[in-house]
Amino acid sequence: MTSASEAPPAFNGRAIAAIYRFEMARTLRTPLQSVVSPVLSTSLYFVVFGAAIGSRMQSIDGIAYGAFIVPGLIMLTLLTQSIANASFAIYFPKFTGTIYELLSAPVAWWEVVIGYVGAAATKSVVLGLIILLTATFFVPLRIEHPLWMLLFLVLTAVTFSLFGFIIGIWADGFERLQVVPLLVVTPLAFLGGSFYSIDMLPSFWRTVALFNPVVYLISGFRWSFFGVADVGVGVSLGMTLGFLLVCIVATGWIFRTGYRLKN
Amino acid sequence: MPPMTPIIAVSGLSKTYASGFQALKTVDLEIRQGEIFALLGPNGAGKTTLISIICGLVNPSTGSVRADGHDIVAEYRAARAKIGLVPQELTTDAFETVRATVSFSRGLFGKRKDPDLVERVLKDLSLWDKRDTQIRRLSGGMKRRVMIAKALAHEPRILFLDEPTAGVDVELRQDMWQLVRQLRENGVTIILTTHYIEEAEEMADRVGVISKGEIILVEDKTELMRKLGRKQLTLSLQTPLAALPASLAGYNLTLAAGGDEIVFTYDTKAERTGITALLQALGEAGIRFRDLNTSQSSLEDIFVSLVSGRS
Repeated sequence: MTSASEAPPAFNGRAIAAIYRFEMARTLRTPLQSVVSPVLSTSLYFVVFGAAIGSRMQSIDGIAYGAFIVPGLIMLTLLTQSIANASFAIYFPKFTGTIYELLSAPVAWWEVVIGYVGAAATKSVVLGLIILLTATFFVPLRIEHPLWMLLFLVLTAVTFSLFGFIIGIWADGFERLQVVPLLVVTPLAFLGGSFYSIDMLPSFWRTVALFNPVVYLISGFRWSFFGVADVGVGVSLGMTLGFLLVCIVATGWIFRTGYRLKN
Repeated sequence: MPPMTPIIAVSGLSKTYASGFQALKTVDLEIRQGEIFALLGPNGAGKTTLISIICGLVNPSTGSVRADGHDIVAEYRAARAKIGLVPQELTTDAFETVRATVSFSRGLFGKRKDPDLVERVLKDLSLWDKRDTQIRRLSGGMKRRVMIAKALAHEPRILFLDEPTAGVDVELRQDMWQLVRQLRENGVTIILTTHYIEEAEEMADRVGVISKGEIILVEDKTELMRKLGRKQLTLSLQTPLAALPASLAGYNLTLAAGGDEIVFTYDTKAERTGITALLQALGEAGIRFRDLNTSQSSLEDIFVSLVSGRS
């Protein structure tokens, strides 16, 4: 059964591919939950806020309200789905015990992260693009900076997938798995300017809103669509990259110490 | 001939969990290349913790481990590539097919796709007919085979089997024993923990006994049984005895079967077993027997005696 000693790879790309394929196969097995459900929810937002209420609202920064909310709604889905996908992906092996195989394999922590986070981010980006396509059926849209739009889409998906990955390792039960997405991320996303410009807020609340990291994500993403933003696009990009860096450092610490994995 | 480098070298290994529970005290252990090593110990003795540290599932508190010459921390890729693990719990994916999950394991260990090898492993484990079946539809015994197939998918040189036959039927147990022998013939070193002492007795080349986080004995199995094994000579009497005569008081005798039998316990490692003198003394006492047989203590008897001796 033993083979001639094949030296272990310095970079275990096959492990990354195996994890990535495994995770993508899981999504394809559950298309209703993975794709149809978030698309349906977002479509309902368009119907209610875009078509029904939006037609009675003033335009914001010269943008029809129905179109104005599209970047925010995509970002809302992107954040929640990235976290849900990645947190469940790593939590479930912990819950069932199959994580033993991951921990005993010749694979570096960052390779594990690339596999899981890559798959979760891919799903989120595809979902974001599907929702974008769906939005064009409800409202007229223009994208002034398509490459920036893709950059923000991918960066946000990766960053929040990584954040979800950390939540999945931290969680020691299904309730905790839901706590951060439901009680922290969703309120931040709703209050982060998904449905309005934070310039519409009174001065005090506008200052408070600037402490909400989601504001920067939505603002930058909306700028890529319409060329208008609540905060400068450079600041948005910097904040996103900063959060990504924090998540990378935290994940590295988790694997180095074995926190909630090896003790 | 120079001594062979051990394929697993455990040195000064200890583990204290965050709760304060000390699962392993200072453990030193060497596993020889190509052997079947049985690690015996009661529940909570530290068997699974020891295996988990060697395989990378648990961080040690102190000490080091080398697998095929590679430090399991500094050279974890090289060390882990050599090791296959079949854990105690039946932990499998539910919705994957058998073939997909075995191929996944191979990929995880950085090996290129090899459908022929996967087919051979599945056939060896009588899983080929189930190759496209989702794992959740398999019986417990079949799931156990899947876990072994996953552990073998990257062609390990060292295989850890943590309670491999717990809860499996006799037929599957025999199949597994056969597989283990076949793996050993192919040069794979096997380390197994088991509650079935007969399994260790049947399979192992060497036996290690762990108790309360310490290795209390490592010994060649046959040597161990020779050293510690007690032998008993049972004499079936022609006429039952109410009590042993005083002239036989110097022998380690007991009356059994309501006085129908005399049981003589003796030490196999002693220079003289005392059987000849006993038979002569019995003749002089007028005690005649119609049959006799001898029996030797099993590994289980030895194990119980070792562990209970320390409690």
